[in-house]
Amino acid sequence: MRAKKVRGSGPWQRFRRDRWAMVGLGILIAEVLLVLLLPPLMGLEPNATDRVAGFWAPPSWEHWLGTDDVGRDVFARLVYGGRISLLVGFSAAAISVAVGVPLGLLAGYRRGACEFWIMRLADVFQSFPTTVLVLCLVALVGASVWNIVVVIGLLGWTSIARLVYGNTLSVREQEYILAVRALGGSTATILRRNVLPNAVSPVWAALAQRVGRAILSESSLSFLGVGIRTPQASWGNIVQYATNVTVFAERPWIWVPPSICIVVTVFALQFVGDGLRDAMDPKYVSSTGVEESPVFCRETPEELLSVLEEDAEA
Amino acid sequence: MTVIPVFFGITLLVFIFLSIAPGTIADLMGEGGNAISSDQAALEERLGLNDPLPVRYLEWLGNLFHGDLGLSWQTGRPVAESIAQRVGPSLILTGTGVALAILLAIPLGTLAAWKPRSIWNKLASVCSMVSFGVPGFLLSLVLVYIFSLTLGLLPASRMYTTGSSGSFGDLLYHLALPAAVICISNLGELVKQTRAACLETIGEDYIRTAWAKGLKGRVVLVRHVFRGSLTPILTTVLTHIPHIIGGSVVVERLFGWPGMGSLMFTAILSRDYAMVMGVTVVIALTVFSTNLLLDLVYGLVDPRVRQGRGGV
Amino acid sequence: MKKRPIALAAALTLTVSLTACNQAAPAPSDNQPQTTSDAPVVVSYGISNPWDSLMPYNSASGSNYSRMIYDKIYDRLAYVHADGTLSPRAAKSWESADDGLSVRFFLDEKAAFHDGTPVTAQHWVDTILRMTDPECPTLGRSAFSVLAGTDSSGVAVAGETVGVVAEDDYTLKLTFKTPTTPEDFLLDRNREYYVLPTHLMEDVAPADTMTMDLWSAPIGSGPCKFESEVMGSSMVLTANEDYQLGAPGFDELDITVMDKNSLLTALIAGDLDYYAIGGSVSANDQPTAENAGFQVLEGTVPNTFFELMLNNKSIDDARIRRAIELALDKELLCEQSTQGHGTVTGTSVLPTCASYAGDYNVEYNVDAAKELLDEAGYDGTTYSLACTSNRQGLAALMQQQLEEAGFSIQVETVDSTTMFAGMADGTYDMGIASHTPNALPLWFTESRFNAENNIFRVPDTAPYEERIAAVKNETDPDKRTAALAELEDYLAQERPFIPLWFGTALHVQSNTVSGIDYPSASFSNENVWEWVKE
Repeated sequence: MRAKKVRGSGPWQRFRRDRWAMVGLGILIAEVLLVLLLPPLMGLEPNATDRVAGFWAPPSWEHWLGTDDVGRDVFARLVYGGRISLLVGFSAAAISVAVGVPLGLLAGYRRGACEFWIMRLADVFQSFPTTVLVLCLVALVGASVWNIVVVIGLLGWTSIARLVYGNTLSVREQEYILAVRALGGSTATILRRNVLPNAVSPVWAALAQRVGRAILSESSLSFLGVGIRTPQASWGNIVQYATNVTVFAERPWIWVPPSICIVVTVFALQFVGDGLRDAMDPKYVSSTGVEESPVFCRETPEELLSVLEEDAEA
Repeated sequence: MTVIPVFFGITLLVFIFLSIAPGTIADLMGEGGNAISSDQAALEERLGLNDPLPVRYLEWLGNLFHGDLGLSWQTGRPVAESIAQRVGPSLILTGTGVALAILLAIPLGTLAAWKPRSIWNKLASVCSMVSFGVPGFLLSLVLVYIFSLTLGLLPASRMYTTGSSGSFGDLLYHLALPAAVICISNLGELVKQTRAACLETIGEDYIRTAWAKGLKGRVVLVRHVFRGSLTPILTTVLTHIPHIIGGSVVVERLFGWPGMGSLMFTAILSRDYAMVMGVTVVIALTVFSTNLLLDLVYGLVDPRVRQGRGGV
Repeated sequence: MKKRPIALAAALTLTVSLTACNQAAPAPSDNQPQTTSDAPVVVSYGISNPWDSLMPYNSASGSNYSRMIYDKIYDRLAYVHADGTLSPRAAKSWESADDGLSVRFFLDEKAAFHDGTPVTAQHWVDTILRMTDPECPTLGRSAFSVLAGTDSSGVAVAGETVGVVAEDDYTLKLTFKTPTTPEDFLLDRNREYYVLPTHLMEDVAPADTMTMDLWSAPIGSGPCKFESEVMGSSMVLTANEDYQLGAPGFDELDITVMDKNSLLTALIAGDLDYYAIGGSVSANDQPTAENAGFQVLEGTVPNTFFELMLNNKSIDDARIRRAIELALDKELLCEQSTQGHGTVTGTSVLPTCASYAGDYNVEYNVDAAKELLDEAGYDGTTYSLACTSNRQGLAALMQQQLEEAGFSIQVETVDSTTMFAGMADGTYDMGIASHTPNALPLWFTESRFNAENNIFRVPDTAPYEERIAAVKNETDPDKRTAALAELEDYLAQERPFIPLWFGTALHVQSNTVSGIDYPSASFSNENVWEWVKE
């Protein structure tokens, strides 16, 4: 296979060439716009019971997706639920990454006591029974959206940290890092300029995954009865109606749309995540089989020296 | 050595959290609102709930060092006995599901990385998407609806047919649906990691060298690519082990499977703290052993790490 | 060409794993024919919550789910039907004695423990004496507090004799603190009185009662014998062929704990023959059950009572509490919950009760509620409304209605332990709860307004206790009705809790087991000895 000539090799250009990633990004943007704009445009009322339509009304012109067990419009709840689910997904994933990446890098690079305590902390979190944590936190601070976000986010940092940790471990032993260290690069510089770009690329895919996982986690919390507080809707707690066999078999219009929303969102996130990973990874071989000119993050000693000087000046 | 502080960390944390959690087992008496305070007081007194937290924790620890996990607050029988009854079914269900997922994921992930334009890559993508996108409980409901309620092919619950002696065939028959759910739920992560690891390896210089040496494709694939990707694949596989022991609450609840997940869940709901602590200990021990195993594997597979360990 | 083997291998892996599932399917049918000759007849029974200890007086929760299990292993004095009538069980008959202060039970001579020892009156006496012994760590001991010679928590008072005597081998006499008819006693307490195999417990000090090995493989005198269990998950019982009321029409009863939502699914899929409690099904699921070929039977008497618990300390103005009641559209709430299988009420007393004094306030009047609020000077405080996750819809509807009247409400979805703990310690201001009612006038109120249990946190229980005692001590039917009306008037005025409705259950009838008395299951007893698996 021959390396193809490509115009512009910045991450964004590479990302833009990934058709699926762009489709995913398009879907996500469309979703965000829809959940933000539909309610004011259509005057949706997610928490009002329609006494005329009654409980469990089938789809009609008035209620596109019928009404639920409380006589509330399911379509309105779907749209409002999207706000909550997307919010929970993105914020929780952001927390996981914000906590996981630095800790993973530190543990992998500094090793020693740092590694010991961080990885043991990860063990603690991993062994900690989720339900206990959630029950206690909910009891202590209430089941508000932000508390749920924090709980899900904090429970997700270990997988990210382990990923970064594993990568850092192998990167730090590579010859070029040793070279930089030998040249007197400070830890922060090495981490930022050399380790991070190499260790972090798989995190982009994991990040998208975590958003999807967080959306699903919220729905499992609803299953356990500690999810988003009534009367707020989320995709997770609408899908929950499917646990009832009658709703599942006779009223698919209740649970199929939120399920589709969850699945489509997670798919879109996957595409975007893969696209980001490919775009950010300096030595990634594109999955379309087209080999790109490898841009390794290995700087020659001369380049390194200039970089170090720049840093010193700054 | 690393085990000790973490062990104290986990048990103490869970203990503190449990004491913060609202209500005690006594609040469940009389089905709510009908409890007699003297009955509740008798129960709290007996369980030592009136003692200060440090006293309770130390007492629990003391018993633990004698190998005694205590009596379940709910059933009044040894916690260890309950756990022993549940570990097996959990292993069977989650173990089968995860093993199946591994068996499918490794060839699929490797092939997907090897032939990025083939059907394998698409299949791998579809698999991981279904696995990531569909919540486990929904998948269970769909499978039960199709295979049990509509087609009547497979049972929707329990581990054995009632009254049967519990033959292996019967177990498989009941295992099919819940294990399939667990397999699919875990497949995505495994396929993705395998594929990513193999792609990473394919980009390495020594694979080029192998090609340059004129080795056959299959030889390169198995000897070099697969072996080079072994560390991350093993990492992923090993991190699944605690889940195998811990069981899956949702699947176990929905299929009436007597595993650890549902044991923990009901113990929390009924505030049976002795049981919660017992299960925590077991899960914690599993996490440590897998992590030790992981460190070992890192060292064995990647010599650079082994050297680095002694160095810095 | 070289791709092929790999592709083949992968395809093989896929097909093998797929066919593994398919091949597994016919396996049991292969096995079953071989064993049909001696295969036991099994009734497969589902239950949504696990039971506690197999020692009935060591049950931490004392839940109805545990009682359903004890009911099968141990024997009770009588069988309580859904309509409140009684039929013999361990006792063949009973009579009132000592001017109503005592009840004499004539025990069935044919009753025997599973080890063959006949059940005598002495077993009952020893059981009760041991359980009221202050040394014995009995749980739920307050069940015995009705007996003479015990204190309010059911502990035997030193120097007094506990009101339980064996007059001869098969005559048991219970003596109460206040005059009680046998019917009232049984309706109220039958499900809490079991006979234990005290002949196996003679050498054990009362203090060690609960740690005996006996409770891991209990011996009772009930219609089923204990065989084995996976704690908290499944249990196998065998039929007691020698049960005095007849042998059950099956060999084995297999009990499995599963998620509430899976019970009906498992019944339809044929994994279960029947499930507790009473095969109850929501009106919403009725068509599903019927389409799957099951008959759905409507209960004859109400078996659930819904109330909105109030915290009388934080909502301290009776006018606000009355305003809450007026702001709630009970009819709509009842419709949401029961789909037409309920009757709204303003009292906890069942209409079938002999002393029934009227249904009190069932009116929905937002304007009156607003007026009352203005009058009371409601300052817009946000009240928390606690509910369990399966009542979220109901809570959301209540929230809307209360907010229409001007209240500010925050719904807290929690597990039931948290809810009841929170109601008891005042964390929550309101809570949705349901209970199993019976035809006694004080079934609900008697146990909730005293020093032992003040779940509504009323500042002074004395006015309630006075009026409750007046009803209790009155034996003349008309005067009793008047006394009850007096109590109910006071409750309507003070509104310490808000009665919502009585619900009638729907029962899915088993297609494989006949003779089940579905409605009576809500009294935590089942006529297992009359079940026949077809």
